[in-house]
Amino acid sequence: MPRLSRYLWIALLAVALPVAAFTLYLDLRVRSEFEGRRFALPARVYARPLELHAGSRIPQAALEQELRSLGYREAAREGESGWFVRGRDGLEIALRPFVFWDGAQAAQRLRVTFERGQVAALRDAQGRDLPLARLDPLLVGGIYPAGNEDRLLVRLAEVPQHLVQALIAIEDRKFFSHPGVDPRGLARAAVSLLSGEVQGGSTLTQQLVKNFFLTPERTLRRKFTELVMALLLELHYGKEEILETYLNEIYLGQDRDRAIHGIGLAAQFYFGKQVAELGIAEAALLVGMAKGPAYFDPHRHPQRALERRNLVLREAKNQGFISMEQYAAARAAPAAVSPKPAMGTSPHPAFLQLVHRQLRRDYDEADLRSEGLRIFTTLDPRVQAVAERALARRLGEFDRQRRFGEPGLEGAIVVTDSQAGEVQALVGGRDARYRGYNRALDAGRPVGSLLKPAIYLTALSEPSRYTLVTPVDDGPFVWKSRGAPDWRPANYDKQFHGAVPLRVALAQSYNVAAARLGTELGIERVLANVRRLGVERPLRPYASTLLGAVELSPFEVAQMYQTIAGGGFRAPLRAIREVLTQDGRPLRRYPLAAEQAFAPEPVYLLTAAMQSVVREGTARGLKSWLPPETAVAGKTGTTNDQRDSWFAGFTGDRLAVVWVGYDDNRAARLTGAAAALPVWGETMAQLDVEALALPKPESVEHAWIDPQTGLLADSGCAGALELPFVAGTAPAQHAPCAGNVPARIKGWLERLFNR
Amino acid sequence: MRVAVFLAVLVAGCAGVAPDRAGAPASQNLAVAGLMESARADAGAGRLANAAASLERALRIEPRNPRLWHELARVRLQQGDYAQAESMAARSNSWVGGDSRLQAENRRIIAQARERAGRSER
Repeated sequence: MPRLSRYLWIALLAVALPVAAFTLYLDLRVRSEFEGRRFALPARVYARPLELHAGSRIPQAALEQELRSLGYREAAREGESGWFVRGRDGLEIALRPFVFWDGAQAAQRLRVTFERGQVAALRDAQGRDLPLARLDPLLVGGIYPAGNEDRLLVRLAEVPQHLVQALIAIEDRKFFSHPGVDPRGLARAAVSLLSGEVQGGSTLTQQLVKNFFLTPERTLRRKFTELVMALLLELHYGKEEILETYLNEIYLGQDRDRAIHGIGLAAQFYFGKQVAELGIAEAALLVGMAKGPAYFDPHRHPQRALERRNLVLREAKNQGFISMEQYAAARAAPAAVSPKPAMGTSPHPAFLQLVHRQLRRDYDEADLRSEGLRIFTTLDPRVQAVAERALARRLGEFDRQRRFGEPGLEGAIVVTDSQAGEVQALVGGRDARYRGYNRALDAGRPVGSLLKPAIYLTALSEPSRYTLVTPVDDGPFVWKSRGAPDWRPANYDKQFHGAVPLRVALAQSYNVAAARLGTELGIERVLANVRRLGVERPLRPYASTLLGAVELSPFEVAQMYQTIAGGGFRAPLRAIREVLTQDGRPLRRYPLAAEQAFAPEPVYLLTAAMQSVVREGTARGLKSWLPPETAVAGKTGTTNDQRDSWFAGFTGDRLAVVWVGYDDNRAARLTGAAAALPVWGETMAQLDVEALALPKPESVEHAWIDPQTGLLADSGCAGALELPFVAGTAPAQHAPCAGNVPARIKGWLERLFNR
Repeated sequence: MRVAVFLAVLVAGCAGVAPDRAGAPASQNLAVAGLMESARADAGAGRLANAAASLERALRIEPRNPRLWHELARVRLQQGDYAQAESMAARSNSWVGGDSRLQAENRRIIAQARERAGRSER
């Protein structure tokens, strides 16, 4: 039989050699990939932390809403953090610990009382006054690796014993004793193989190999590869290392476009807890989902999830991991998971886009998507929510009233802190969850009258020539320039208004007066001031540019108006405050910065004129939203055929820009006052805004003016206005109406005004 | 003279800024006072970024407090950011009201910032 045995040897070798080579190849792969593999961690993006102190302008309902969105529960749980309860005149809050840019903040008990929509007092558990407390910031999204995989890494030591035991009981009882492959499971797999279907019998190690190295197809060859790799993995690495990696890798569900991976993130996503805080019932529910996260999704299929959980609990009891009492208690617990947040990769994709763009100036795209950076932003979730709602509701209403067909009106909003230039909210369209076209950043639309403040600012920078009451000519006007057709600007009402006070020309948004004034001052000079206000886009040096024949995004308009709101200090709009590494080390701060672009006097006068826009001009409709004491300064903008409706304005603490129009540039037939203004008003009215009080420059004085004549008024003049002037530029003459007062009072007034 | 005083009061009232007397507490607000305190401690210990962060937090609460803008100008000067030191001091001056001492301090910072910026350019 020597001949036969030789054939046998050859045959054996023919099989064994490729198998050996294949095994060597797999061994190399297992070692290099497992060793070198680090989980790619998304950058995590947080909203601003809410700061509480006596005097915070936040009503109780808004604070409760903030706490709820942070996942705080509305019931006291002694010994735990992350809950709040309502008391007689306020809230008791068990604040969670959090690592901020400037250090860790411990868990803390707060008592907050309210009065007239403000925090009246902030105390600790002992009733002592606290100067300041910071809530943990809301996670508002991430910048994700490929496949939008999200995870929070955990160490095995943080994972409760009962979770590991439940996992082993249900998925792989012999995990700690088998060599990576369970012989009995293997036999079962072989049997099922004969019946033509490859399934079952996977150990945790095999499952890990499958998720880590292999594609999900079910073939014999793949099954064989999986077996060999599982054995090799066990050969090189310890059980604990494999288990820890498994717990971090495992896929446990889907949140819109975001994939929930790892037990750490699952604990947070389903229960709002750290993994170490998970109880037996909660751990069993998560472990049960491993078999089929979609099928056993506790949000969509609570009954299935509950039954699966109970099966896991029974196995854990049968294996002796939990006692009968523990089993009974866990089984009786409801399968309560936190409500599913409207999150996905972010509930506010437009703001996230802004953050992402600002980050890309300083970081590699690859690092952003893998290094687990912690990004602290300026987003104010309350402002964002209010702005999103106001825009969606108003646009819906306009669509119903006007019936211009599909697609409906669109819009965008930018809200900033008027002093520091922090972006508090950014809405990119009426569907705020839509992750696409971001009108706030990318829609360049003609701005119409929004550029006019730059014309008047240029004029008011020459106080000896122009004051708020200087007459400007709104009579017929033709602009001739070589190589271009004559330009004859017209007013919205198709009338000419003759000589009007400068302030009124802006308040009523007279085009002819503005065009004449702007060309007199010099187009280049005005456009230079537009740039100085913060507009970086190239501007064509044509007269028509003065009346807004230039396309800007709402964000660019916000930057421009920010400089006016900041009293002439240009502060670059910022969406990011700080960046930390994954383990909480400070990496970079984005500090408050500003540059003085204009002297305070002309900006102060311009602001007064922009307050006239709201008090008596094109934006007077705002009074149905905000009381006159708010003294809002703003400007409406409407373009040809009313394709674009704008309003930009500011209060003492916030600035907002609203644009409304059609994406396809149809005529919306809505003026700035009719469409953008109500959105602006509805947003600001819900935000407890501060009244506008610009700092009065030393060289500015106020005088009472008769609006009819633009001359000095006294109590005899009806409707007299108090207006600011650069010292020495107020009119010296009295209006005729100022004569009809008793000599005694008149003399006093004269002394006052003539100094 | 009486008129001038009256005007000054009127003007201060219009601007909504109470005259900030020298030596008066920097803020009635406990939170702001506390943040300013820790900013001073941080600045003294050379933790300038932390000091700036605390002042920015305080400014979010009281954006019109000239003392805060002034302190931030000082920190920027220490950080060697002369352009921002000058801007912040100018900003402080725009809110300063009748506090001539603070005004003078701001002017000193502006002069220092310009001088050092000139020196570092050479």
